[in-house]
Amino acid sequence: MNKDKVILSIAIGIVCVILISVIFTQFKTIDEADIVGITTARDDELTAMLSTWKQKQEELQEQLDNTNQRIAEYNEKITSNQASEELLQEELEQTNLLTGQTDVVGEGVIVTLSDGEKSATITELLELINELRLAGAEAISINDQRIINMTEIVDTGGVILVNQERIVSPYVVKAIGDTKYLASALNSKNTGFIDSRRNSGLNIELEENANIKIYKYSGRREQLKFKYAKEVEE
Amino acid sequence: MIIIAIVVGCIIGALIGTYMPVIPYTYSGYLAIAIIAALDSVFGAITSSLKKNFDIKIFVSGFFVNAILAMLLTYLGERLNIDIHLAAVVVFVGRMFNNLGIIRRYYVEKLSNKKIFKKAEETIKIANEQDKK
Repeated sequence: MNKDKVILSIAIGIVCVILISVIFTQFKTIDEADIVGITTARDDELTAMLSTWKQKQEELQEQLDNTNQRIAEYNEKITSNQASEELLQEELEQTNLLTGQTDVVGEGVIVTLSDGEKSATITELLELINELRLAGAEAISINDQRIINMTEIVDTGGVILVNQERIVSPYVVKAIGDTKYLASALNSKNTGFIDSRRNSGLNIELEENANIKIYKYSGRREQLKFKYAKEVEE
Repeated sequence: MIIIAIVVGCIIGALIGTYMPVIPYTYSGYLAIAIIAALDSVFGAITSSLKKNFDIKIFVSGFFVNAILAMLLTYLGERLNIDIHLAAVVVFVGRMFNNLGIIRRYYVEKLSNKKIFKKAEETIKIANEQDKK
C-alpha cells in the first residue's frame, strides 16, 4: 500500500469528520432557535424593541393607574350618595311617623268610651287625648281616625267630627306608647281620668295590648299643605 | 481506500455533531459562513482531482484557512456594521456552482465520449469485416 495514499485518506477522513460535525451542530442550533422574529433581529434591534415595549408598558401602566383612580373616585361618590340617600330615607320615615302618613303598630292601650248613665261628650275625648299625649303616646286614633297635629275634634250640635268625619259612640281610642306610662296616667286613683269619669257615670274600659295597629291619616290631603306658613330663612 | 475514509469520516462526524452541545445563537452566523467556505474547498478539491492537479496540502490548507478567514471577515463586518458575510456567501456559493458545473461537464463529456468510442469501434469492426471479404 502506498504511504502517500494512506496519508491522503486519513487527511480526507479528518476533514470529513470536522465538516460534517460542524454542519450537524449548526443544524441543531438553528432548529433550537426557531423563533422567527428573533432569528432575523440583531442585538441592537432587539434592544430598541425592548425599550419601545417598556415605554409602552409604562404608558399603559399610567393609564391603568388613572382609570383605577377614577373608579375609586366614582365608588366614593356612590358611597356618599348612598349615605345621603339613607339619611333622606330615615328623615322621610321620621316625617311620615310624625304626620301619620303610614300605618303603625306597637304596644299601647285601647280605651273604649261607651254610653252608660251618661254619654261621652267631646270634653271627655279631648281630655283623654290630652292625657294620652302627656303620657307620651306616639300615635293616637279615635275610631280609626288618626289624630295628627292638623286634626280637629269638634262638636257640631251633637255630632262629633274628627278629621271632618263623623264618629259615633262607642268611641275606641287607641294609643301607641309606653303601656305602663299610659295605663298608670289614666288609672290614677280618684283623680285619674278613668276613675273620675266612671264616678260621673261613664262606661270606660282600658285594655293593654302589646300589638296595636293604628291606621294612617285618611283625611283630605289638602289639609297637610302649608299655604301661609313659610320657613324663615336664616 | 479514499472512499472508505470519506464514508467513515462522515459517519463519525455525524455522530459527533449530534452529541455536540448547542452553540450560542450569536456565533451560529460564524459557523454557517465557515461551513460554506469549507464546502467550497471540498468542491474545489473534487474539481482539481478531476483535472488531475489535486494536492492534499493545498486542499487542507484551503479548507481551514478559508473557513477561518471567512469567520474573521464576518467578525470584521459585524464590528463595522456591514454585511461582509453576504459578500463571502456570494463568492463561495458562486465558486461552488462554478465547480459543480465543471464536475457535471466532465462526467457528461465522459459519458458521451464512451458512446462515441463504441460507435467508432463498431464502424471499425464493420469496416474490417468488409475488408476481409
